[in-house]
Amino acid sequence: MRLSQTGRAFGTFAGRYNSKVFSTNFSTGTGGELSKFVWVGGVLLAAFAGAAFAQAGDAAKAHEKTAMCLGCHAIPGWRTAYPEVYSVPMIAGQHPQYIVRALQAYKSGERSHPSMRAIAASLSDEDMANLAAYYGSAPPAVAKK
Amino acid sequence: MRSFILHAVFAATGVVLATGVQAANLEAGKKRATEVCAACHGVDGNSQNPDYPRLGGQHPDYLAKALRDYQSGARNNAIMKTFATALNEVDIADVSAWFASQPQVLSHRR
Repeated sequence: MRLSQTGRAFGTFAGRYNSKVFSTNFSTGTGGELSKFVWVGGVLLAAFAGAAFAQAGDAAKAHEKTAMCLGCHAIPGWRTAYPEVYSVPMIAGQHPQYIVRALQAYKSGERSHPSMRAIAASLSDEDMANLAAYYGSAPPAVAKK
Repeated sequence: MRSFILHAVFAATGVVLATGVQAANLEAGKKRATEVCAACHGVDGNSQNPDYPRLGGQHPDYLAKALRDYQSGARNNAIMKTFATALNEVDIADVSAWFASQPQVLSHRR
């Protein structure tokens, strides 16, 4: 189960990078050897980044920590109460590395929500990576009406 | 299905509450989003680049709060400060409503 999830994440990740490199190729208009070099380099980079990402987090281990998240993030319509009232953001389906960065920013105090700061402070880098892997796996977009 | 309907109702409520008495202008929001936000986040907010968060379908009041926090420096990000500062209060309401109305990958999944 974990292997197949990792494979899918890798595929999506690599695909995105490839397509980005591809479009860069077109827009820069470089031809011949340079273009080939950029292309191959991009694929290698994508493979490396994909591998690093696949190692980074174990979605299955996130279950030890998700209890702290779901009380606010898994309830449609839930709002913060303090210090300001607004809808708690949806995190499932977000890019994994953005989730990690947000958690790190709360832990460091760069982002200031009190509950998030306390929760993030209790998380190790590994916990953050696991949570990001868990919440970051994204189903296809659903059109809003 | 039931949860989807609930979802839709909550999302719609969010749009109404976040924008207050003055209804947001989706067309104006799309225009400003295309000018200011789309290069990184995509016109529909579902960025392909994992460095930039997905915004499509996100709660509009959360998006508006994030933009105001970037403006004030409460959220300290040099790139976002520049772009958020380019938006006025009406723009913020409009682009937030625009992204909230777009196809949604984000969810409340536990």
